[in-house]
Amino acid sequence: MQTIAGWFRERLPISTAQLAELTNEPVPNHLRRWWFCLGGTPAYLFVVQIVTGIMLAFYYQPAPSTAYESVRHITEEVSYGWYFRSVHKWAATLMIAAVILHQMRVYFTGAYRKPREINWMIGMCLLLCTLLVGFTGYSLVFEQLSYWGATVAANICDTVPLVGGFLKRMLLAGDAYNEQTLPRFFILHAAVLPVTMIVLLAIHIGILRLQGVTEFQFEDEPPDEPRTFNFFPDHFYTELIIGLVLMILLSVLATVLPATLGPRADPLTTPEVIKPEWFFYVSFRWLKLFSGTFAVLSSGFIVFIMFVWPFIDAWIRKRTKYDEASVWIGIVGVLLIIGLTVWEAVVEH
Amino acid sequence: MSEPAKANPAEEQQTTDRRTFLSRLSSLAMALGLTAGYGMFAALIGRFLFPAGSTAKSWQFLTDLDSIEPGQSLLYQAPAGQRIAVTRLQAAGTADDFIALSSVCPHLGCQVHWESQNNRFFCPCHNGAFDESGNPIAGPPKDAGQSLSRYPLKVENGLLFIEIPTESFT
Repeated sequence: MQTIAGWFRERLPISTAQLAELTNEPVPNHLRRWWFCLGGTPAYLFVVQIVTGIMLAFYYQPAPSTAYESVRHITEEVSYGWYFRSVHKWAATLMIAAVILHQMRVYFTGAYRKPREINWMIGMCLLLCTLLVGFTGYSLVFEQLSYWGATVAANICDTVPLVGGFLKRMLLAGDAYNEQTLPRFFILHAAVLPVTMIVLLAIHIGILRLQGVTEFQFEDEPPDEPRTFNFFPDHFYTELIIGLVLMILLSVLATVLPATLGPRADPLTTPEVIKPEWFFYVSFRWLKLFSGTFAVLSSGFIVFIMFVWPFIDAWIRKRTKYDEASVWIGIVGVLLIIGLTVWEAVVEH
Repeated sequence: MSEPAKANPAEEQQTTDRRTFLSRLSSLAMALGLTAGYGMFAALIGRFLFPAGSTAKSWQFLTDLDSIEPGQSLLYQAPAGQRIAVTRLQAAGTADDFIALSSVCPHLGCQVHWESQNNRFFCPCHNGAFDESGNPIAGPPKDAGQSLSRYPLKVENGLLFIEIPTESFT
């Protein structure tokens, strides 16, 4: 063992002592609490998605004539195809849920405040990428939902002033859904968005390491307790446990509630009840409540507000001296989102 | 948590050993558990990627025995597109009377074709050649002693059947 280590040491100028110090970052105490592990959760699920996604890509065919059949083949004929497809589908749902919960945690603990505004904005980009990767993912199955979801989304893009038409043509590779649309969604889903997310994630974690995790003091903690604990082995074990819990959860969900296959896409018939995936229920309901252009522009505006929230929050605190305004605004926002989502979930139209 | 009273050094030594032992045991159990769990996942991945089953084959009707004499050949076009020459050599009334040669060269899989001017099957990839019964007469197949393979045939109720792959990917 020593000679192997020695062999590498003669060729690579890395000091193991330095490496140990770099990685064994002292972790603030509050990360012992499970609420704060909501950042590692989507990261782990992202890895699961990459692995299962690559596997599915061995059998998936991104052409309108064969896509549905290839998904059926995976689900019904390939060994454990049903399992890996279901894990992929459930990990997508859990990842989006975890990202949203993580953002809420960061929001309500004010961890976006100076000097962490940049990381908040990077996080917002990651949220949008995650939602997009979820959307492009279910467009690939070429079920009725896939086809009509893509058509509606493209037409929504069309209503954006100035760039709308351009966006729609870029998304659909034409004026309407055609032979080139599915391959385009596939490349976005399997290559462009994952690579973008990996780069953004690296920056997100890099900035986090550079600045250090925001330290918190909770009321029930004795004041003289050590403020940090070791990454190795303590926090590493926490992350490991989360990974295992997620794997068990995914396996159970995939086995008890496997991914099914709806009817094949039919460009001539829109189903009576057509909805996007759950994570778009809120925007779907918003769009049904207001007319086209206003709904789209207001949605865009709300996303913009979320993006620049650290600066708005700083302005509010400076002008009103009311530190907790963001908490109340956040509560109203969360209730609205939950309300609209549930509303959309329980009704047919 | 207060320290337990230490009776004597020997007992203290034993407590430390037990603690270390249990700690190592739990680490080992954890490592085994992780290996079992993720190892199972990796095994499933392997199974998933390994291509499933062989190509679909089925028995197809060729002709009735009375319609073909010894020395005659019948050219059959399979549903998947392959052209197969079925030749009758004897009149015993069994499947052994016939040969249905595959046109796949046993060397490396190219398609052979019949050269009537040379009375042989010729493979353009590496110049392999076979006689009319499929025996190798030149090139790598002759060196390796590989004949053209034959499609399975059966006779039922005076009718001749051939077993051929029915799937085509084009």
